[in-house]
Amino acid sequence: MLSHPSENRPANGFLLALALVVALAPSAAFSQPPGEPSGAMQAEAVAPEAPPAGTSQPEAVAPEAPPAGTSQPEAVAPEPPPAGAARGPGAPPAGVPAEPLPAAAPAARAAGPLPAIAAPGGPDPEVPDSRAPLDPGPWAPEWLREADRGPPAAIRDLQATDETAQRLAAPEAGDVAPPPPIPPAKRPPVLIKTILGLIALLALAYLGGHPRMRVIEKRLRISQVVTAGFPFIALGVVANLPSVGILTDSVLDELTPLLRFGLGWIGFAAGYRFDTRAFDDLPKDTAKAVGFATLMPFLTVLTAASLLLLLASDWTESTFRDPIFLRDALILGTAGAMTARAASRLVKGNADYLWLQRFKKIVQLEQLAGIAGLAFIAAYFRPQGPDLGWHLPGTAWIFLTVGLGATIGIVAYTILRRPATGAESVVLLLGTVAFAAGSASALFLSPIVVCFVAGVLLANFPGASKDRLGEALEKLERPIYLLFLVVVGAIWNFEDWRGWVLLVVFVAARLTGKWLGAHLTSRYTNFDTLAHERWISNRAPMGQLSIAIVVSAQLLFPHGSIPIVVTAVIGGAIVTEVLVQVFARKASPTEDVDLDFEAPEEPAPAIPPEVA
Amino acid sequence: MSILLIVALGGLMHAARSFHGDGAGPLGSGTALAFGYVLLTAFFAGRIFKQVRLPKLTGYIAAGMIVGPSVLGLLNHHMVEQLKIVNGVAIALIALTAGNELDFREFRPLLRSIQWITLVAVVGTSMLLGIAVFALKSFLPFMADMPLTHALAVSMVLGVTMAAQSPAVVVALRDEMEADGPVSRTVLGVVVIADLVVILLFALVSSIAKSVFGTPGDAMETVGRLAWEILGSLGAGAMVGVLLAVYLRKVAGGAALFVVTVTFVMAEVGTRLHFDPLLIALAAGVLIRNLTRMGDKLHHEIEASSLPVYVVFFAVAGANIHLDVLALVGIPAAAFVLVRGFGLMAGTKIGARIAEAPETVRRYAGMGLLPQAGLALALALLFAKTFPEFGDDAAALTLGVVALNELIAPAIYRMALMRSGEAGRRAQRPEPTPAAPEGEAVALPPA
Repeated sequence: MLSHPSENRPANGFLLALALVVALAPSAAFSQPPGEPSGAMQAEAVAPEAPPAGTSQPEAVAPEAPPAGTSQPEAVAPEPPPAGAARGPGAPPAGVPAEPLPAAAPAARAAGPLPAIAAPGGPDPEVPDSRAPLDPGPWAPEWLREADRGPPAAIRDLQATDETAQRLAAPEAGDVAPPPPIPPAKRPPVLIKTILGLIALLALAYLGGHPRMRVIEKRLRISQVVTAGFPFIALGVVANLPSVGILTDSVLDELTPLLRFGLGWIGFAAGYRFDTRAFDDLPKDTAKAVGFATLMPFLTVLTAASLLLLLASDWTESTFRDPIFLRDALILGTAGAMTARAASRLVKGNADYLWLQRFKKIVQLEQLAGIAGLAFIAAYFRPQGPDLGWHLPGTAWIFLTVGLGATIGIVAYTILRRPATGAESVVLLLGTVAFAAGSASALFLSPIVVCFVAGVLLANFPGASKDRLGEALEKLERPIYLLFLVVVGAIWNFEDWRGWVLLVVFVAARLTGKWLGAHLTSRYTNFDTLAHERWISNRAPMGQLSIAIVVSAQLLFPHGSIPIVVTAVIGGAIVTEVLVQVFARKASPTEDVDLDFEAPEEPAPAIPPEVA
Repeated sequence: MSILLIVALGGLMHAARSFHGDGAGPLGSGTALAFGYVLLTAFFAGRIFKQVRLPKLTGYIAAGMIVGPSVLGLLNHHMVEQLKIVNGVAIALIALTAGNELDFREFRPLLRSIQWITLVAVVGTSMLLGIAVFALKSFLPFMADMPLTHALAVSMVLGVTMAAQSPAVVVALRDEMEADGPVSRTVLGVVVIADLVVILLFALVSSIAKSVFGTPGDAMETVGRLAWEILGSLGAGAMVGVLLAVYLRKVAGGAALFVVTVTFVMAEVGTRLHFDPLLIALAAGVLIRNLTRMGDKLHHEIEASSLPVYVVFFAVAGANIHLDVLALVGIPAAAFVLVRGFGLMAGTKIGARIAEAPETVRRYAGMGLLPQAGLALALALLFAKTFPEFGDDAAALTLGVVALNELIAPAIYRMALMRSGEAGRRAQRPEPTPAAPEGEAVALPPA
């Protein structure tokens, strides 16, 4: 369905991510030096200076410009809020220490107060305090209900200092004033910088697709790392650094919808690949093979992460009953359970067609386990609060998740099956996924799960539109994913050392679990996992769904130890790719490893009855 | 079926928004939801309008108006504001398309017509509207008690503001109808040049108005700003055009994405640099079409990515139509709409006759000048800021005029393209093959 996109080389990826960087580079002109408040965002008190005359301004109420003919006062950056002023919903709740504990708190990445989108000037009484301790809800099992549901001290510290958490926890506030225009004296340098940035982008795009670059990547054994898109995470990290100041907090706030959309897109694409007819002839023991492949790493990661999180927290009764601890461990386990789809590329060239097809189906079914895990977590560990409607038990939310996905899937089917040109198909697909992702996010559900269900329905309903949709999906999947990775990199809080410690534990536990799973599969089923490659090559790689799961979790649960979980998974994915590259034998004769690779659809050879 | 889908989507949207008591959801969720909802709803509304022989564009606008804050409120003000991020890209993409259509070789025979029509129709209509505003000043509360000189000054400014046209609508309709011919080309040329003329006129009359009202201003500074804005925009556009052309020539993949990125940069950075994003993109498109061989390839790349942007752009425009304001200023706004329409159509006829343009141009080109949008609004808001005592009322009046033209004018232009026989002509032309990358262009190996 999604053929090998030879055109989706890093040229596109670099181009896309760097395009974003260059596109947003001039906003560095407005980025605040570390330590200074983002006063530019609080421009309600000052009439913003409008764009120049004449403009072909947006149809809507334009940001208005002084035309060249009128002498407008230069926009004055408003005074920053006084030190110590409350910072809106993101401010730490009463009683929580505002300053970090010296040993555990992460260093401030972007010093300064929160962006003004979190209600400048003070908490908005109309907006729920999303930083209140999580309440498991009246339907939680009795052992979870506790008078004091506050998170452990280490978690509170994290909540107090993690700006990403605070920003993501803030509900959408009122309109944010646009950055002020650039003063005349600074215009030529900004213009030059912009042009140079575009030239650099052009050069990188040219080089990125050059054959010599591929040779260099091969020599450095980083082809797979590059193809998996991980440099774009690094790009996002760099762009968010205070010294670079490109993807600033205000810009990231504008890009958060893109993050949600990206999650929905990943889930939709995964679901659209789930053609159930392909699973009609599953050989015996496949379920067992999938079970071993997912359960072993899940359990090993869950166990190891639990121990580590316990060591990091205060040993009180509330800790052992705290759902946050369990939730984070489950998220890690779910993310670690799956194998990347690209793993099939690392299988040796002499693998027979049947084996390869079975292997691919097992990998695909593993994704189902990941989706189910995420659905469970999103349903049973929901935020509670008086301003959130629809107070329902966790099981009801599971049904709601599936129901919403199914409803949107049916609507999407009705929408997408109608005849449409290529451009119209793109419009309909974009709109459907954005709507599904937005709906899910608005209900505090995971966009991945809802869009996955919608995608599965769409893939399995009859209709002649599938080829058209598959083409549109393939065309857009990689650019959207790489852009998503840049934003992920920008919101990634990598400075917390606990995340890196958890990474080591996560990788070790996951590889152990994968090894166990591979050997148990080979031993107790009729599928020899190790027939054509080392287990590390065909079981270890982590795919985009794993990263998407933790990012989804971060959006759903901005508090708690999720930021360090994100570090563990993202860092773990990168480390795993490197390990795979180092330890894998030369497998496939083709060198373009790509996430979206599908083995060529050869006609199935005649299968003797005894083999079938 | 489109209606059912719209209703179903509306129901889902309402359900999703009802989850939060205060209407606010997790950060970014509302924008994603609004984007998807407005894209789908406007798209289907466009299909419905097409079935009743109205432009799809009008459907997009109508859909935005109905689901927006003024009517159903399925999109609240915050969502509409957040969606404006699309506007900058849309304006730049549209201008890039318009510039790419301006092939000097094809337009040379029409240049005389364009010049005369711009002079007579656009400048003439500005004066006519100014006279109309002055004549009706006793019916306009904010002007009723003004001294004569002040009223004259305000009339001049409003006249220029209300005369502005919309390249966005013209380009979008031309694409939708796949029109080609002397009428559509003349209209395109006129609205592009008129954009520049209106900017210059506005600068002039607003300077005069400011001096009449005693507002301090520096003529040299004004000239300097104008020069920076216009000449700087054109220069920046030329550089961007070169970059685009080099990319299209040297790099095999990702061109659509590069184009969209560049338009985003043009919109965001250009605005803050006091450039006009429309002029930048226009200049880039003109350069690529006339000085390189990448014009057809650029057209091909833009075509694929522009539809979602257009749909959301016009839907957001509709969502920003304030029906409450329209109710207040409806009658005078309608009067000025009629005066404007008369001025543009008569002026076009006169200008076309002087230039000895073809009969179809004389008869139908004026209808293409009727659509109106962002430029008029921007100028009105600027006027409001410059003269805060009465500027809001004047802006509201302009807003009413623009709203009426946004709803009615596209249908009139569509009719003009149909009757002139130019609709569908572009589809009949053989599609040129996009130029392949040359030299060291990295053509990726096949799978």
